[in-house]
Amino acid sequence: MFSGWNWVAHGLYLLLNICSLEVSGGLVQSCGHIIPESPVLALGSNFTALCILNESCLDFGNIYANQIIWKIKNRVVPKEQYREINRTVSSVTFNDTSSLATPLTCNILADGQIEQNIYGITVTVGLPPEKPKNLSCIVHQVSKLTYPMTCTWNPGRHTFLDTHFRLKYRWPQENFPDCIPKDVNNSCTITDVQFFVNLEIWVEAANALGKAESDPLVLDPIEIVKPLSPHNLSVNSGILPTVLKISWENRISAAVMKLKFNIRYRIISDTNWMQVPPEDTASPRTSFSVQGLRPYTEYVFSIRCMKEDGVGYWSDWSEEKTGVTTEDKPSKGPPIWRIIDASCSPASWTVHLMWKALEPFEANGVILQYEVTVRAKSSLSSPPEKYNVNTTNLTLKLPNGTYEVTVIAHNRVGASSPSVLLIPASNSKAPVKNVRTLPKDGKLWVGWTAPNSYVLKYVIEWCLVSNSSDCIMEWQNEPGNVQGTYLKGDIKPFKCYLITVYPLYADGQGSGQSVKAYLQQDRPSKGPTVQTKKVGKAEAVLTWNHLTVDEQNGFIRSYTIFYKTVDGNETAVTVDPSKTEYTLSSLTSDTLYTVRMMASTDEGGRSGPDFTFTTQKFGKGEIEAIVVPVCLAFLLIVLLGVLFCFNKRDLIKKHIWPVVPDPSKSNIAQWSPQVPAKHNFSSKEQMYPEGSFTDVSVVEIEADDKKSFSEQDLKPFDLLKKEKSTSEGHSSGIGGSSCMSSPRQSVSDSDEGETTQNTSSTVQYSTVVLNGYRDQTPVQVFSRSESTQPLLDSEERSEDRAGGGDSATQRQQYFKQSGDQDETNADRPCFERAKQIIPANEGDLVGFAQLQISDQSSQLLGLGLEKNTQEAALSDILQANTEEQTVRPETVEGSPLSVDEMPKSYLPQTVRQGGYMPQ
Amino acid sequence: MAAADSPSAALRRRDLCSRGIRLAGKMRSDVVDLLDTYVERQGLDASASVAAVEGVPVAAAERWDEQTGTQRLLENLAAYRAFRALLAQMLEEQREQLGEADAALGRALAAVLLQVSAFTYHLEELLRLESRGPPSEEGAGPPPLPHLGLFERKLRGLGVLRELAQWAVRSARDLRQLAKPGPGSGSAPSLAESP
Repeated sequence: MFSGWNWVAHGLYLLLNICSLEVSGGLVQSCGHIIPESPVLALGSNFTALCILNESCLDFGNIYANQIIWKIKNRVVPKEQYREINRTVSSVTFNDTSSLATPLTCNILADGQIEQNIYGITVTVGLPPEKPKNLSCIVHQVSKLTYPMTCTWNPGRHTFLDTHFRLKYRWPQENFPDCIPKDVNNSCTITDVQFFVNLEIWVEAANALGKAESDPLVLDPIEIVKPLSPHNLSVNSGILPTVLKISWENRISAAVMKLKFNIRYRIISDTNWMQVPPEDTASPRTSFSVQGLRPYTEYVFSIRCMKEDGVGYWSDWSEEKTGVTTEDKPSKGPPIWRIIDASCSPASWTVHLMWKALEPFEANGVILQYEVTVRAKSSLSSPPEKYNVNTTNLTLKLPNGTYEVTVIAHNRVGASSPSVLLIPASNSKAPVKNVRTLPKDGKLWVGWTAPNSYVLKYVIEWCLVSNSSDCIMEWQNEPGNVQGTYLKGDIKPFKCYLITVYPLYADGQGSGQSVKAYLQQDRPSKGPTVQTKKVGKAEAVLTWNHLTVDEQNGFIRSYTIFYKTVDGNETAVTVDPSKTEYTLSSLTSDTLYTVRMMASTDEGGRSGPDFTFTTQKFGKGEIEAIVVPVCLAFLLIVLLGVLFCFNKRDLIKKHIWPVVPDPSKSNIAQWSPQVPAKHNFSSKEQMYPEGSFTDVSVVEIEADDKKSFSEQDLKPFDLLKKEKSTSEGHSSGIGGSSCMSSPRQSVSDSDEGETTQNTSSTVQYSTVVLNGYRDQTPVQVFSRSESTQPLLDSEERSEDRAGGGDSATQRQQYFKQSGDQDETNADRPCFERAKQIIPANEGDLVGFAQLQISDQSSQLLGLGLEKNTQEAALSDILQANTEEQTVRPETVEGSPLSVDEMPKSYLPQTVRQGGYMPQ
Repeated sequence: MAAADSPSAALRRRDLCSRGIRLAGKMRSDVVDLLDTYVERQGLDASASVAAVEGVPVAAAERWDEQTGTQRLLENLAAYRAFRALLAQMLEEQREQLGEADAALGRALAAVLLQVSAFTYHLEELLRLESRGPPSEEGAGPPPLPHLGLFERKLRGLGVLRELAQWAVRSARDLRQLAKPGPGSGSAPSLAESP
């Protein structure tokens, strides 16, 4: 029972101990403690701590050292690092303090289970201070008597500990209070130092782990002074226009140090400083005269100082002070140039003289006026004309000639030397060669090759070439010994400039040589607009306009034409930039093409809008090549058809217009009953075998004999004549050419040696009208009928059946009845001539017969259809007649036969043997 | 004198002389400035004549050009040691009188005091180079100052500063004389040379 109460009491005691450790901090005695108490450890070193248990606790709780557990924060330290020194002391060892953390606690397992804290310590880990390095000091003068010294050093690595730095300094015989840095660890300022005694300076760094001192610095502070810069500068212009005197006050006593100076100055518009040679200002002073300045120029001055022997530091530059030099006369005459306008009058010029205002460094003051003198070179005796102008140009109207123009600039002090310009009658001297340009450093450089002669100077003219504005000329002068210069003006990029270089000689000037140039090129601002001028089957002629100068942005080096079909690859063609037309070839017919055009400069190209066109389906002449043969073939077919129809006209007539005999014209007396008995032809060929016209019978009838025939007897002959006429008229009506030609041939034939027979009383007639009888029975079957009654059908049919001659009669009758037109045709002069000519052929019946045949044959021959059904002999005569027709066309007109002279009647007869007998 | 024969010793001596001269010049310049400040702050008349103050060494020397270098150094050293004590007392009195209210005057006095101290060091170093060594300060110190009234203290201070300015001039001349090369610069003149 006692034992149980003992354990309870022990537990309460232990708990109170723990509470007392954390709350009261020692009001109640703890069960143990750690040695060392809150140590500061060097990083990386080893460390051993001891936990010592109180003896009193051993008695109460049976707590021994072997129950101790070491912990860093809440992490238990491995037991390998423990060591039980005795029953009340346990140690823990750390080989590297970097593994330590705060707090390090000593704990114990009460009753083997409950962990109780005995004690804890704070461990601080850090590094000892390094030796400060690179100690340096400088004395800044802040006023005339105040010279604080600031020293800086390198404090070294971070120590992780509170490290104190002290700047220590002393004289050999006297120590001074340390300088303790505020808020920093690498510099400190000693408020006042005394010069001319060596001062020993060093830095001491100290923390919980140690102390370190820098190497001492021994110096006289006067050697490290950065003095205040001189002040109260003043600048005064002297008597000379090239001198300014500057004065100042030094802020450091000469007793402290002697000074040397640097003086710098610049033109107020310039940013670059110039400096007075240091050796000129190496001694103490409070003023200096700066020489070699430009007249009438505002300068800015600044000054600085340092110890005369150069030991120490330069002061800052002083405040800037400006001063202006006095005026001087202009150092040179103004550059002069002219523009000669000869368009007003052929005898005089309008000369625009212009000169440039002198630069400030040349004018050396305010230019009050310009004095211009114009002297004619041709008449030296005449006094020169003088003009005083305030502007920089003068326009004069001068007679043509050579003049010497001088311009003098005046300011308050004096006049410049004259600038001379020779205005020659012509630019006849040698020009420069090889004018070229080169963009360089944002400016445009112009170079040229000098002519062989000595050049006084060059004038470079240039202007911006633009569509929107005129070429406003700018110019500049260059001395004669240079062969290149930068254009002095606002040269813009992407703009075209026309630059002209003139050489000026002592006795004239050379003609200008021009070149176009860009300061900077770019792609064209737009591409050319291409369109087609002509589109063919496989080619297209493209045309475009050149880009304007404003659009080019550079030199157009090439045009590139891109063209493609809808689904094809794009093809590019490069075209010379001078062209405005190009023919695309090898295109596919009847295809839509898209074409665009790109203009390229050195910096790239830009394309214009797309343009589409479609190639033609047929090429030039193809349609004609197809249509013309087709038409010709059609015509040929038509002609053949016509010929065929003509040849078969009887057959066609037979089928379309059957011959209906006119009963009223029937005449039995015309019949020739012997003929069928004598000739029994079944066909035309049988009746008129070709080549058998040699047995043509010729009947000569005396005209007077006509009267011996009764009218009744002659009637059949009239009818026959009519039939013949009808036949001939019909023939003529169908084949007009035979109508026109055959009679003439007959006439011509009759004119040749047949005059004896070609009389009005002698009629030669033959029935060689083959056409009219080819498809009908021969005339020989005609029978004359006295009846005036229409034939019965039976009779007509019987007659038809009786012989083909009826059909001929019928045909004739048909023509007679139905063909007023035929009669009209027969009355036409053509036919009348045929009737007139027919008697004239009485002397050459054979020829006439042949002629009748040839009239048809000739047409066949003329169409190329060689229907050579005629005899060779006939061909000869045909040839002869044709020739005569052409040779003597007026024969008929020369001896026309009047109608009255025509035979009044004919004896119908047949040319066939026994086929047609006169009655 | 053996030490003075070595080149380094000569160099050191020349350097000490040179810097001593410049220090004397600066000291004079600062004392002149301090005099103006002192007269102003103490409400004195700049033209007020001050009778010889007891304990303040007099710069004037009757036969200055006959002094040896060592004599010059010793006289200078005695004077500046006295000035150092006087200035320290003035500084203390000034702090007691004005407190920190007139820090500028106090800083100026302290600066002059430092310069006097520095010059004293120069003189001691030069005497060491003369193989003589500086005399002990035991007997060279100024006599204990009598109790004076406030105005008298002000006047005494004025007298100290004026005399210090004079000494600054004399010290510069003395050191220039010492810096001159030539025999006897550091040795005592013979009796024959004495007037």
